[in-house]
Amino acid sequence: MTDGSTRKPTAALEGVTVLEVPGTLSAYTGKLLADLGARVILVEPRAGTRGRWAPPLIRGADDRDGDASLAFGYYNTSKQSITLDLDHPRGQQVFRRLAATASLVLESERPGTMRRRGLDHAALAASAPALVSVSVTPFGASGPYADYEGEDIVLLALGGLLSLAGFIDSAPTRVWGNQAVLAAAQFAAVGALAALLHAEAHGEGQLVDVAAQQCVVMALENAAQFADLEGTVRKRAGGAVRYAGTGIFPCTDGEVFVMAAGVGEPRFWQNTVAWLRSEGVAAVEEIADDKWRDFRFLATDPAKAVFNRIFAPFAATRSLKYLYHEGQRRGVPIAPMSSPSDLVRNDQLNARGHFTPFEHPSAPPGALMPGAPYAMSQTPAHSGRAPRRGEHTDAVLAAAGFDAGEIKALRAEEVL
Amino acid sequence: MSAAMKKGPLDGVKVTDFTWIGAGSFTTKLLADMGADVVKLETATRPDTLRLMPPFKDKIVGINRSGYFADRNTSKRSLALNMKRPEARALARRMIEQSHVVINNFTPEVMGKFGLGYEDVRQFKPDIVYVAMSLLGATGPEHKYLGYGHMINAMSGLLRLSGHPGREPTGTGTNYPDHIPNPTHAVVALLAALRHLRRTGEGQFVDVAQLEPAVALLGPTVLEWTVNGVDRRRVGNRHDESAPHGVYPVAGDDRWIAIAVTDDAQWAALAETLDQPGWLREARWATPAGRRDDADALDAAIGTATRGCDGPVLMRALQARGVPAGVVQDSLEVINDPQLKHREHWVRLQHPEMGETLYNAPPLHFSATPAWPRRAAPLLGEHTREVCREWLQLDDARIDALIADEVLK
Repeated sequence: MTDGSTRKPTAALEGVTVLEVPGTLSAYTGKLLADLGARVILVEPRAGTRGRWAPPLIRGADDRDGDASLAFGYYNTSKQSITLDLDHPRGQQVFRRLAATASLVLESERPGTMRRRGLDHAALAASAPALVSVSVTPFGASGPYADYEGEDIVLLALGGLLSLAGFIDSAPTRVWGNQAVLAAAQFAAVGALAALLHAEAHGEGQLVDVAAQQCVVMALENAAQFADLEGTVRKRAGGAVRYAGTGIFPCTDGEVFVMAAGVGEPRFWQNTVAWLRSEGVAAVEEIADDKWRDFRFLATDPAKAVFNRIFAPFAATRSLKYLYHEGQRRGVPIAPMSSPSDLVRNDQLNARGHFTPFEHPSAPPGALMPGAPYAMSQTPAHSGRAPRRGEHTDAVLAAAGFDAGEIKALRAEEVL
Repeated sequence: MSAAMKKGPLDGVKVTDFTWIGAGSFTTKLLADMGADVVKLETATRPDTLRLMPPFKDKIVGINRSGYFADRNTSKRSLALNMKRPEARALARRMIEQSHVVINNFTPEVMGKFGLGYEDVRQFKPDIVYVAMSLLGATGPEHKYLGYGHMINAMSGLLRLSGHPGREPTGTGTNYPDHIPNPTHAVVALLAALRHLRRTGEGQFVDVAQLEPAVALLGPTVLEWTVNGVDRRRVGNRHDESAPHGVYPVAGDDRWIAIAVTDDAQWAALAETLDQPGWLREARWATPAGRRDDADALDAAIGTATRGCDGPVLMRALQARGVPAGVVQDSLEVINDPQLKHREHWVRLQHPEMGETLYNAPPLHFSATPAWPRRAAPLLGEHTREVCREWLQLDDARIDALIADEVLK
């Protein structure tokens, strides 16, 4: 607006430049920012960041150049890429010059790495007081575990979430899909944007230190409060059946998931009872009286057994679509159990245009991936393709004021 | 100056908060802990159901005694407002007029019934970030459907993908999407929209269908289907690349350690730490692929070797040699975890009815503008008078009349 233009930005993060030192814990953070319109520049080592070879790979594709990873292709949408050796003094100088033009530096290097390079927040902010740095590490920048190795399953263990999942007769069991890593990345995006808004309003930058273990703790639901208030340690309990009325039930062509008791909401139980009654399930009267409104009773094994004895044969003789749509029409919390292949056929997601093309020369045309995870009416997010290694090196450096001679010299020194 | 006294990064942002239960309340907790002025509109005539969910302080059921509710509602103020009354809806409208953000997680038609749907609000307050967080979004054939975090686990595929092959899936054992995916994605979209509002004066509608962040987190898994034609199934604690990768028994009752070996050097360090030099002479275990192919025998051997070990001692020994390892901590151990103590994660706050109880701090350390639980959860309607004076410029006589008339209830 300061230029007197009347053109309004159509991307929420237009004008924001992010330098991202690539790493597992922050890749999805950068994607969220880039898809919202920030110019996110991956600063890769000359050989390419390790994430370029992370599984799953496109079957049959040539992975020599690091362009065959589906994970990389997904987590790096809409980003640009430069190659720059951050362990070379000249590379560090280049990074400092780029940082002077950036709003935000995002990194998930081991604690101390950026300081050793002279690229930690204190060093960069000396000449750029409004700069925001976001550092995402397994356990935080300091403390007794700061130097621990933190793979996803280890973070789930030390963050407590692993203790809540699995059957009690065997080992606690990990949730699918790097959820601890992604927890850190998601909270890092929150921290990045809150600090960015503060910096834009007040000219004050800062360091945001995000610890993945601590992010996992946010998923413990009420387990810590159960320990604190009632002295009860919640344990893993097989499938998700803490209360009668909750569970997975096979139907004629799949499985449904039901939460007949909702969360503390008696009308859902009534709706379920009314539905079963209208379909002629005689035994429904066994679950119709007032004690079925009491969550303490619903938590007992006999209550669960009675509900299952009544609902299982009802579900087993009906189709998934019937149970889902008819149950929902009657105000019963019921949902389909999905596999990945079901998602791209999900009517609701498709009606909303949730999926978006995965653009890649080795992928089948029209292959889809999840698109924007929120619909914004004025500034919709959009996922462009992931960059090839170093694809934008010359353009990014030129835009930051490096002339052709400097770029040539840096390349000759093997800094770029 | 303590963190609770310093301004947060969202200082000055005013939020009219219609959220309740899980994901919505956690979203506005993040905003409030980051310094936004969040006023929770709720009513004793139909309380937030989380207020009546356990655990309760001293196991005594009470509308102001739920620890589940308390933890999700730090730093907010509570205005008791019976939205069934037209006078209450007029007051809510005046709250929105003064807000930067209005947010709800009802099914889509509810706000419209209040006369406060997005199309209504934009007429009198175009410069607003209006956030809706229903189960499936404001559009599409199933937009009226309702549900909870557990159901998003089921619909997104996360539940079916998590657990041991051949047994019923186990998921996370929680309403997981309520706790991380939806609150964080909603805040990201909300802050992006707030930036746009600050730059241009233009408000917008932000529709967070709660299924969609959970699906977005499964991106690579969806691509395995759409690109490679592989419909993934659950694998227990195994990993596509690394082996061994699992959860192994240690000494004690139901005690476990997670170990993830990501390269051959870590494999050698694991064998040496467990005093099993024979493992390194096994040709079939010499490479990651060989170890993956023989994972059943490998996991059994490791379980036999770890079974007698003290978990924390083994974790420290493995970590000292660079092997990713962590004991499986239950909630009490997480509360007493030294790293989380160092991070000042757990906060004890004074509450008028519950006394001093335990809260999560946000997992973000801002060096200049701390995010921190600034006050305990509000009693239902605790700040009705204060908010009516500050936000609505009502005098005490008028407030008394509205209370007597059960509008402020």
